[in-house]
Amino acid sequence: MKRFGLTLILSLFVLSLAATASAQAQPTLEKIKNSGVFTIGVRNASPPFSFINKQNERAGFSNDLAELVHKEIEKKLGKQVKLEMKETSPATRIPLLTSMSVDLITETMTDTRPRRDSVDFSLTYFVTGADFIVKKGSPIKGTKDIAGKRIGTQQGSTNERVLREKYTQAQLVTFPDQAAAFMALQQGKLDAYCNDAIQLWGLKYKSATPDQWVVVGDWISYEPYGFAMRKNDSDFRAVVNNALMEAIEGGEYFKLYEKWFGTKSDVPYPMNQTFKTFLLYQVVPK
Amino acid sequence: MIFGFLGMTYEFKWSVLWAQPHLTWLIDGLLTTLRLASISWCIAVLLGIVFGAMRTIPFRPVRIVATAYVEFFRNVPLLVWLFFWYFGAPEAFPEPVRQWFIHHGIEFWSAVAGISVYHGARFAEVIRAGIQAIPRTQLEAGLSSGLSVVATYRLIIIPIALRLIVPPATNESLNLLKNTSLAMTIGVAELTFAARQIETYTAKAVEALTSAALIYLVFCLSISSVMNWLEAKFAIPGLIVRGTRAEH
Repeated sequence: MKRFGLTLILSLFVLSLAATASAQAQPTLEKIKNSGVFTIGVRNASPPFSFINKQNERAGFSNDLAELVHKEIEKKLGKQVKLEMKETSPATRIPLLTSMSVDLITETMTDTRPRRDSVDFSLTYFVTGADFIVKKGSPIKGTKDIAGKRIGTQQGSTNERVLREKYTQAQLVTFPDQAAAFMALQQGKLDAYCNDAIQLWGLKYKSATPDQWVVVGDWISYEPYGFAMRKNDSDFRAVVNNALMEAIEGGEYFKLYEKWFGTKSDVPYPMNQTFKTFLLYQVVPK
Repeated sequence: MIFGFLGMTYEFKWSVLWAQPHLTWLIDGLLTTLRLASISWCIAVLLGIVFGAMRTIPFRPVRIVATAYVEFFRNVPLLVWLFFWYFGAPEAFPEPVRQWFIHHGIEFWSAVAGISVYHGARFAEVIRAGIQAIPRTQLEAGLSSGLSVVATYRLIIIPIALRLIVPPATNESLNLLKNTSLAMTIGVAELTFAARQIETYTAKAVEALTSAALIYLVFCLSISSVMNWLEAKFAIPGLIVRGTRAEH
């Protein structure tokens, strides 16, 4: 019995050594080619970027851009690839990415330098900043008024970090996701909810009573959105960036922007001229 | 080496655990967990003894009330209960009461309510099993000695039952301690929350979660060794059969 146990351990050890010799972190394009599936990380309740709409389908600006990346991958690999969407949240998305459950995070992830230690980012496809949403008539108009007030954020978000580091007098209450935090705000358990401005506009317009909510304050942080992928994967990163550059150059990006942020959309948000210039300058020549 | 086999490259950096402010987060989280667990445990044991005994009383309406409590609260997942106690229950109170709660740690007390009521139902079952393991003759002897039903339960049945239930009660207590981790979903900054916080700030998932796992392990082992000591100290000789020790 003892002999058997020893043999088992030794053989596992040898097996793992052999496996290490042959296997390395598999490049994403190879993984997609072998499995035939491209998995993206999306959100359930972050309109208008990534959410589940009234018809119970996944939709959103980020989701649509991810479809363009999907087509580019199919073009590059020369075969059909299935697009799968998996729900992620600020706290879970990086572990899901590094454990290979998800190939690309395409929801509302801010590109920051500390995060670049763990993941790589694509081009910036949207810029915004953190803001507050409050009930109409609330005395909170900006960061001067939040001392001692209960401010909600999502666990693991950049907004939580900014409030924790720069605005220590605010009483921070964190929730696993936006849906829980917004419900707490609606029930009066929070005085304000802090998230990226564009998402707050999305929340306001998608809520049952848009007139009851006001987005206040100047941006307290700079939040550039990018798609996140595993580190040291230049081929995959080139494909993702090519897809985004094609979309910006060919006009597809602006069509999608009009669809989700245009005057007839649910969340009207005219494109800033500086942002448009920034987008166009990101497109390197063919 | 093993992580290479799984296709990930990972650099360990254990120093993130004792770097400030991470260490403060872990300690604060641990203190919150202990506070949450101890308050909930006291309430749960009280509820458990009351309702567990009520289920064995030979008077049907009382038994029905107790059974309703147990079945209602233990058959719904604790996570659902926590959402109910945090998002649902406070709405039933008048506005000034709600505002008072909101400014006095509503997250913590909703978690206490959810965990203690749920585990109260589970403790009730454990205690009922302990009471019913006692032969009916004890109750009859107590009644025939002139004690009332309540006095018989209080002086004879429940002390013996408490000794009988130490193993399953230990199990439930450990479950309670571990279930406090669910409170992070309603915003309570306890130990698991602190570990996730470190993980999202440093991306060092293995170190952060290992530290939380080790801390829970240490506390659970301490609790079970205390319970073992209690069991030995308060044992009634000859009541609980011990397989290994020979009697002289």
